[in-house]
Amino acid sequence: MTATTDTLQLRREVRDFLAEERARGTVLGRPDSWLTGWDPQFSRRLAGRGWVGMALPPEYGGGGLGFAARVVVIEELLAAGAPVSAHWVADRQIGPSVLAHGTEEQKQRFLPAIAAGRCYFSIGMSEQEAGSDLANVRTRAERVPGGWRLTGTKKWTGGAHVNDYAIVLARTSEHEDRHQGLSQFIVDLRAPGVRTEPIRLISGEHTFNWFHLDGVEVPDGMLLGQEGDGWKQVTGELAFERSGPERYLSTFPLLVSLTRELRRGAATPDQQARLGALLARVFAVRQLSLGVADALDAGRPADVRAALVKDLGTRLEGDIVHEVRRILPVTADTGATPGSYPHHLAYALLHSPGYTLRGGANEILRGIITRGLEQQS
Amino acid sequence: MTTALATHVTALRAAGRLAEPGPFAETVLGHLALALPRAPLTVALADGLTLAYARPAVTGVGPAGTSGEDAALRVSGALPRVPYGATATVLVLAEGPGGPVLFPLDPARTTVVPGTNLAGEPRDTLHLHDYAVAADDVHPLSPAELAEAGLRAALARAALIAGAAERCVELTVRHTATRTQFGRPLSRFQAVKQEEARLIEESALVGAAVDAAARELSLVSVAAAKAQASASVAEIARIAHQLHGAIGFTELGDVRLATTRLWSWRDEDGDESSWAARLGREALAADDVWALLAV
Repeated sequence: MTATTDTLQLRREVRDFLAEERARGTVLGRPDSWLTGWDPQFSRRLAGRGWVGMALPPEYGGGGLGFAARVVVIEELLAAGAPVSAHWVADRQIGPSVLAHGTEEQKQRFLPAIAAGRCYFSIGMSEQEAGSDLANVRTRAERVPGGWRLTGTKKWTGGAHVNDYAIVLARTSEHEDRHQGLSQFIVDLRAPGVRTEPIRLISGEHTFNWFHLDGVEVPDGMLLGQEGDGWKQVTGELAFERSGPERYLSTFPLLVSLTRELRRGAATPDQQARLGALLARVFAVRQLSLGVADALDAGRPADVRAALVKDLGTRLEGDIVHEVRRILPVTADTGATPGSYPHHLAYALLHSPGYTLRGGANEILRGIITRGLEQQS
Repeated sequence: MTTALATHVTALRAAGRLAEPGPFAETVLGHLALALPRAPLTVALADGLTLAYARPAVTGVGPAGTSGEDAALRVSGALPRVPYGATATVLVLAEGPGGPVLFPLDPARTTVVPGTNLAGEPRDTLHLHDYAVAADDVHPLSPAELAEAGLRAALARAALIAGAAERCVELTVRHTATRTQFGRPLSRFQAVKQEEARLIEESALVGAAVDAAARELSLVSVAAAKAQASASVAEIARIAHQLHGAIGFTELGDVRLATTRLWSWRDEDGDESSWAARLGREALAADDVWALLAV
């Protein structure tokens, strides 16, 4: 992507906004803030600036801008470690998905609320027996008069205890080909029969849940897209989910923290070179990621390149943690002052196993990459 | 200018991919130097010359006359490992007594010690003993032009690396798809797929960084592109050879044409440590490390 006057201006505006928020004490520069930084007030202020649902059409309250503009905003927010997790899923994938597959009624109901930063979604895909092998979902949706009854248990459902809705992948019919007969539903997380139980991260933080659906009744109007098209719809979202800045910037705030510490004294040539090597890699992964955003904007397929960005970027997120520790040794400490270098290091480290797992385990994605290239050649 | 640069970089990637045998990159660079807004240069060097481009510091550049008023120079020192230095017309960029200068060099008036890099490309060391440069041949450069020449040289080398990396991918994907062991193509083995994906990724990473630097030439973009290109060489060459098996380790295989170049090019025009250190220093001097990367 070549920076245009518009995107430069937008970038400056977001930086000014973040400076105000830092002064307010809401942006702490924490790593992985898109996973754990839940702040509805922040989400609403961001939406007030027009920076949530940016790619949605204006008639549904969106900004009518391309993905490239959204990427500018997201990059700035993640690099700064801003608390964006409340509206994260709604903004990233539910908005585009409802726009692509939803009924007019669903668009009217959800899109303006998403763009206003007031409607928060969880993703109910993974289950006990359906991790990387997502087609193995066991949650069932049975026909009842006027709708569906959903029964099953989702796992790792982020924010299900605080969000408004979840998008749930469930089996609506049996077929020899497991990829058929799956459908997506929008489930009200306050509906009777919904129950969540925390699954704590190794850091002790609560963001994931068991998400039980005990015969939850979902009206017909909350089926998203066509019955039986769930697999196609879900995989269509993956390029958005896998190639964005959150696949390489999750630990960038730790690099910011490190440079702040290094500036206090005289950095050695070795420290300079090691820092520079990490920045060179961030630069390069960013360029690849921007290339995918351009492809998505132009409506070109980007599955393979998205998988590639995700593998490279998330490995880099982990590498940053370990290399930063070598550049400026410090004892990682969750008890240290929030916002301090040892505090950031501790959380970046405790979150590190997740980087290469979420959004599809990297080992599985590499299969997509080699298959893609063989087909081209 | 940026568009012309992007076109040159595309051509250089192709040259790197084809292991083109000749001073193509150096010639392109020479012409880029000519494209600098310095009218006399376009006159000083005729078209059709094969140009190499040498920027190493020489040990002594002094005025030819005792007064120092004449622009003529006398130069002593060594230009180490100049690409095709014995056969090409060499353009020298150096710090002169009154600032940076550029002048053409006649190899016949130097002492040439021939050499090659790991790929067999000529890398000749030229020794200058009180070498006289006529005033008409001395072209003053601004410090910015001298700095930009260094960036262009590094970017050109990174583009060659990107091309040779693509070649490694091409050859490796072809080999693993056609070579059968235990009754199936190598590419059907999970362990092979994992390595192959990493090779593809690392090559794509280098290409993306090089393209970005070609679009927006700056110290940061070039430092990042060359640091990453050089840093990726080890992994790219390792996987390409590992998946090629014994044939790639011998002259029977073609992958060596790419990998030996990669191993040489990563050191030429600045290795990964020196460019990374420059980038690191920039980052520590800046207010906002993110703003440095995302302009």
